[in-house]
Order: sequence, then C-alpha cells, then structure tokens
Amino acid sequence: MRILKRQVAEGPLTVIVEYPEYDASVEHLLQKLERMNVRFQGKLEDRAVSVDASEIYYLESVERKVFLYAREQVYRYEGNLADLEADLAGTDFVRISRTCILNLSHLSEIRQLPNSHLEAVLDNGEKLIVFRKYLKDVKNAFGRERG
Amino acid sequence: MKKILRDTCILSALMIFSVFTISILWSGVTAEIILVLELFGLSLLIALVNTLCDEVLSLSIMGSYLLKYFVVTGIVMLYGFIVGWFFRSNFWMAAIYVAVVFVLAYLLDSFRTKKDLKYINEQIKAKDVLAKRQ
Repeated sequence: MRILKRQVAEGPLTVIVEYPEYDASVEHLLQKLERMNVRFQGKLEDRAVSVDASEIYYLESVERKVFLYAREQVYRYEGNLADLEADLAGTDFVRISRTCILNLSHLSEIRQLPNSHLEAVLDNGEKLIVFRKYLKDVKNAFGRERG
Repeated sequence: MKKILRDTCILSALMIFSVFTISILWSGVTAEIILVLELFGLSLLIALVNTLCDEVLSLSIMGSYLLKYFVVTGIVMLYGFIVGWFFRSNFWMAAIYVAVVFVLAYLLDSFRTKKDLKYINEQIKAKDVLAKRQ
C-alpha cells in the first residue's frame, strides 16, 4: 500500500482511496475511515450547525441537556449522551464520567491529584475529572488504537 | 499469571455451580448449599452497592474505600444477623473480615491505577511524537 499525503490549504481534510480491486482490506480501511468521519448536528444560538467530531474536545450532559465543547464554542446537542455514546463506539470518544465523554485526540495527560482524584488535562489547558471506573475504558481505547 | 488466576476463579465458580446443582437435584438443599447460596446473595448485594457507589460518587481512592468499608461492614453485619452467621458477642468480627479484604483491594486498586495512568500517558506521548514527525 502506498501512502501519499500533501497539504492543500483550501478545503476540508480529504482522503482518496485508490484500489486495484475491492477486497476485504479495502473494506476494512473504508470502515475505519467511516468511523472517523463523524459529524455532529449541533445548535449555536438557535442556529443549526454541523460540527466535525475532531473539533469537539468533550461532550457533557448538564441537567439533561447535552453540550459539545469545541476550542472556543459550546454547541447544544438535541439528544442524550447514551445515544451519542453508542454512535461514537470505536472512535476516539470515550466516557470518562457519568456525564462526560472525552475526545482522546485532545487529551494531553491524565494525572492523579494529591487527593487521588484523576484529572484529564486537555490540549487547550482545560481539566476534567475522570471517574476511576472509566479509566479502564480509556486504557482500552489506546490499546484498540494500537491494535 | 493474572490470566491463570482469573481462569482458576472462573473454573472454581463453575465447579461449585455444577457440583451444587447436581447435589440439589440428588439430595435436596443441604446446610452447605444454603451457606453457598447465602454467600452468593451477600456477594450480589455488595457488588450492587459497589457499582452504585462507583457510578454516583467521585471520591478519592481512600475516601471511596473508607465509605465502601463502612457500608459493606454494615451490610455484612445485618446480613449475618439475618441468616444467623454471628452470635451477639462476636458480630464485630465482620469488621475485621471486611477490613482485610478492603486493605488488599485498596492496595491492588492503587497499584493498578498507577499502572494504567503510566500506560495511558506513554501512549499519548508516543502519539504526539508520531504526529510531530509527520
């Protein structure tokens, strides 16, 4: 398999898959790409917007309302966290508490605080509490990525 | 080693289950079978409380274990009284039995958490290095 990459400043991230014959490995690759190609339909000040999953740092449920947190914007999502979690299975999004799902691609570090709570530090400096119960899921997600 | 221990526990549980099922069918419910069923009931209750605590609370490892220790000791004492495990004079023994289990579980959990954190942070670093190279 040849991997070619080039920077195109204009336009979105584009992946072109060329194959001599459509076989299982192509199918597998396309499935992986499909799983990565997730977009959320959110709301910003009552305006419907489509947001690429890679832009989202984490999803949080606050008083039964779900919010999508990007670097600078917070979008409202119509739906519940459980449904979102099911849709995001196999992606970089992993539940870290009862009310929060984190995008691991924006995770910088998880550290143990002096009171032994676990804290996730994101690449924008934001900090989130990780319930110990979900630490295994985070670990497995990294293992899955490597596998 | 971990896999062998886990397989041993699963196999033991299966053996107990099959032996006791045959015994119940063959000779009815004996005192030993009642004891195992009582232990099963207690384990189920403790597992339920444990899951509930993990789901709802976000305490420190120590805080979480202390809370669970008091709750589980209370459950074991109450359950022990109901099924007749303890005499009035020695019910406090439950606190010691539970403490031994909890100290071991706490040590194991602390060790495992540190190990998991190390693994996760190493993976993040490796990913960052790879991203920078590209």
